[in-house]
Amino acid sequence: MAVPVTAPASQVRPVSARHFVKLKLRVMGNNFRGQGWRVALFLVGSLIGLWFAVGAFFGLAAPGLAGDDRYALLVAAFAGGLTVLGWLLLPLVFFGVDETLDPARFALLPLSRRTLVTGLFAAALVSVPTVAVLLALSGLVVTAGVFGGWSAALVSAVGVVCGLLLCVAGARAVTGAFASMLRSRRVRDLAAVLLAVLAASLGPLQLAGVAAIQDTDWDRLTGVASVIGWTPLGAPWTVGIDVAQGRAWAAPVKLLITLVTIVALLAWWSRSLESAMVGAASAGPTRARPGVTGGVVAQLFPRAVGRLRRDRFGALVSREARYWWRDARRRANLITIAVVGLFVPVMVNFGGQGFTIDSDQGFSAAGDSSPVLVSLSMLFVGLLAAVTLANQFGFDGSAYAANVVAGVPGRLELRARITAFSLYVLPMLAVVAVVIALVIGEPTWIGFMAGALVATYGAGLAVNSFVSVLGAYSLPETSNPFAMNSGAGVVKGMLTLLAMAATGALAAPMVLAAALLGDTWLWLGLPLGVAYGVGAALLGAYLAGDVLDRRQPELLALVTPRR
Amino acid sequence: MTGEHPALALRGLAKSFDGKVAVAGVDLDVPAGSFYGLLGPNGAGKTTTLSMAVGLLRPDAGGAWVLGHDVWADPVTAKQLLGVMPDGVRLFDRLSGAELLAYHGLLRGMDPAVVDQRAAELLDVLALADAGRTLVVDYSAGMKKKIGLACALLHGPRVLVLDEPFEAVDPVSAALIRDILKRYVAGGGTVVFSSHVMEVVQRLCSHVAILAGGTIKRVGTLEQVRGDRSLEDVFVEVVGGRTATGEELAWLSR
Ligand SMILES: Nc1ncnc2c1ncn2[C@@H]1O[C@H](COP(=O)(O)OP(=O)(O)OP(=O)(O)O)[C@@H](O)[C@H]1O
Ligand SMILES: [Mg+2]
Repeated sequence: MAVPVTAPASQVRPVSARHFVKLKLRVMGNNFRGQGWRVALFLVGSLIGLWFAVGAFFGLAAPGLAGDDRYALLVAAFAGGLTVLGWLLLPLVFFGVDETLDPARFALLPLSRRTLVTGLFAAALVSVPTVAVLLALSGLVVTAGVFGGWSAALVSAVGVVCGLLLCVAGARAVTGAFASMLRSRRVRDLAAVLLAVLAASLGPLQLAGVAAIQDTDWDRLTGVASVIGWTPLGAPWTVGIDVAQGRAWAAPVKLLITLVTIVALLAWWSRSLESAMVGAASAGPTRARPGVTGGVVAQLFPRAVGRLRRDRFGALVSREARYWWRDARRRANLITIAVVGLFVPVMVNFGGQGFTIDSDQGFSAAGDSSPVLVSLSMLFVGLLAAVTLANQFGFDGSAYAANVVAGVPGRLELRARITAFSLYVLPMLAVVAVVIALVIGEPTWIGFMAGALVATYGAGLAVNSFVSVLGAYSLPETSNPFAMNSGAGVVKGMLTLLAMAATGALAAPMVLAAALLGDTWLWLGLPLGVAYGVGAALLGAYLAGDVLDRRQPELLALVTPRR
Repeated sequence: MTGEHPALALRGLAKSFDGKVAVAGVDLDVPAGSFYGLLGPNGAGKTTTLSMAVGLLRPDAGGAWVLGHDVWADPVTAKQLLGVMPDGVRLFDRLSGAELLAYHGLLRGMDPAVVDQRAAELLDVLALADAGRTLVVDYSAGMKKKIGLACALLHGPRVLVLDEPFEAVDPVSAALIRDILKRYVAGGGTVVFSSHVMEVVQRLCSHVAILAGGTIKRVGTLEQVRGDRSLEDVFVEVVGGRTATGEELAWLSR
C-alpha cells in the first residue's frame, strides 16, 4: 500500500559517459530529422572545417617534413598556445558553446556531480571543431615522429589528445563561469568589465607578438617558446618535441601539468554547472524599486526615449531598448561590439605609432595607418555591429507571437528594432571613431571615419533586416547566453558570413572614396557616409518589411524553440 | 454585421507537421455572444486549431473568419477584433507586468490615457499589483496566465480566444477569471476557450465542441452535446478512454 521511501537500489545500473555521448548524438540526429537544408549546411560547414584542418595539419607538420628542427619547438608552443587561447576566448566573443545537452535538463536525475561533469564533458568532445582541431594538431605528431621516431610520436600523440581535452574543458569552464556571472544581476556589470579587460589584454598580446616576429631573434623567440612550453598553454603540445630533442624527462612533468589543469578546470566548471542547473532562465531577482510614479505607459518608456510619442512605434522601441539591456544574451552581444569594436581597429592601425621596432621588416602591413586602412577597420566594426541583428527575431523566441497577434506592420517593426538597437550602437560607434582617431594621432580623420562607420552600419542593417526575416533560427531557452544549438551553430556561421560579405560589398564605396578622393574626403566623408547609412537602413527596413508582412507566421514558427 | 456573421467561423482548417496530421479539416461556427468551450484529449489539435484561427499558424488548407473578416486575407481588421491568449508561447517576459500591459495596449493603437486606466484596473482586479516591478519571467505559472489574460482583454476585443486559461491558476483566481469572462459575454463579447476542466466548461459554456484526432467529434449547445448525461461521460465515450484494470503498473503499489 504505502510506497517505501527508500526504494531498493539494487537494480540501478550505473550511468557512464557513454550514455551522454549517445544522447548527444541522438539529439543531434533528431535536430536534423526532416530538415534537409540543415543537413546540407552541416555537411558544408564540416567540409570547410576539415579543409582548414588539413591545411593546418601540413603547416604544423612542416618543420618535420622540411627536416628543420630549429622551428619545431617554436611552432608547437605558439600554435598550441594560440589554439588554447582561441578555445577559451572565441566562444565568449563570437561563437558560443554547443549546448545540445542543456545541463538544466539533468537537474532532476539522481546523478552525482562527477558523473554529470564527466558525461557532459565527454559529450562536449563530440563535435566538429574538436575533430578538426585534433586533425590539425596531429601535424605535431608527424614533426615529433620525424625527429624522434616512434616513441616521440607516441608521446606527442598523447600530448595532443590531452591538449584537446584541456581546450574543451577550458571553454566549458570559462563560458560556464561567465554565464553564471551574467545571470546574477549583482555582478553582471563586473562580468562585463572583466570580459572587456580580458579582451583588452589581447591587444597588447598581439602587439607583443608582432614585435616578436619583427624581432627576428630566433634564439630569444625559442626562449619564449620554451617558457610557454612550461605553462598549461604549451605543455601538452611540446612534449613530443621534447622527447625528440632529448629532454625526455620533461614529458611526464608537462603531462602532469596538463592533467592537473584539466582537473582544475573541470572542478571550476562543475561549480558553475550547479548554478546553471538550479538557476532558471530568470535574470535574477529584480531590484525592488518602490514609489512607482505615473501610469504603466510611463513605466514602459526608458528615460532615454522619454520624448518618443506614446504610440506603437514608441512601444516597440521601448520594449526593444529594455530587452537589449535586460536579456543576458543580447547584453553579451553589446559587450562584444564594444570590446571588439575598440580593439580590432587599434590592433590594425597601431603599427605606425611608437611600436615600429624594425620598420624595414616584412610586417609593414600594419605599418603607418592610411585612410584606406582606417576605413577598412571602420568597415569591420560597422559590419560587426550590424550583424548582431542577423537573428534579431531569434532573441525573442515564441514571445514574438504577441506582435503577430497584434498585427504589427513589418516596416514599423523593423524600423523600431533598428532604432532601439541604434540607441546603444551609435554612441559606441561615435566613441570608436573618436578614440581611434586620437590613438592613431589623426584627429582630422574623425569625420570620414564616423562616416564610414555609419555607412557600413546602415548598409549592414539593411542586409541583416533581410537575413533576420528570411534566415531566422531558434535559440535554446537556457540560462546560458553563450549556448547554441549544434545544428544552428553552422547555420549561424554561414548566415553571418553571408551577411558580412554582402554588407562589405555595399560599404566598399566608402573605402574606395577614401582611397581616391584624398583631402576632399576629410570633410565630405561624414555627411555622405551618414546619408548613405541612414538611407540604406531605411530602404532595407522598407523592402524587408514587405517580406516580413507576408511571412509573419512562418517567422514565428522558425524562432519558436522546439521543446 | 454582428447579426449576420458568426463571431468566429472556421472552414476546413487542416494542418500537418512533417507528414503527421495534427488537424484534419475542422469546421466550426461560433455564434456571436456565445461562450464556447473546446474540449479534447492531449494532442487532439486544440492548440493547433486555435493558432490557425487567430493567425499564428498558417493552415495547409481552409480559412478562418472573425465577424466576417478573413483572418488570412484581411489580417489587420480581423486581428483588431481579436484578443488572444495562446498556450505554450512566452510573453515578453523581461518586462514587468505593468510594462507588458502598456506594450500590448500601445501595440493595439490605444490611447495612452486609456491604457493607463485600464491596466491599473486589471492589475488590481487580478491581484497582480503587488508584484510591482517584478519581471514577468519571475512570476509564478498562474500569475503568468493571469497577466496573459489581462493582455488579451486590455484593448476590449469583440472575440476572445483563450488556450487553457484555467491551467495552473488557483481556485480564487479561477473564480475571478470566470466572473470576468461571464461579464464580458454578458456585455456582448464572445469567448472561445480550450480546457480540460469539465466542471468549468459545464458551468460556463453555452456551446461545446469536442475535438479528437484532429477532427470535431461532437458540436452544439451544451444541452445538445451533453444530453442527460454528464459532460465527462460524453467526453470519455467520444474519446474512447480506458480505465486502468489494476493489472498494469503493479510495481507502483509495493
Ligand atoms: N510545431 C509542431 N511540430 C510538430 N508537431 C506538432 C507541432 N505542434 C503540434 N504538433 C502535433 O500536433 C498534434 C496536436 O497538437 P496540439 O498542441 O494542437 O494538441 P492540443 O489539443 O493542444 O493538446 P494539449 O491538450 O496537450 O494542449 C500533436 O500530435 C502534436 O504532436
Ligand atoms: Mg494545447
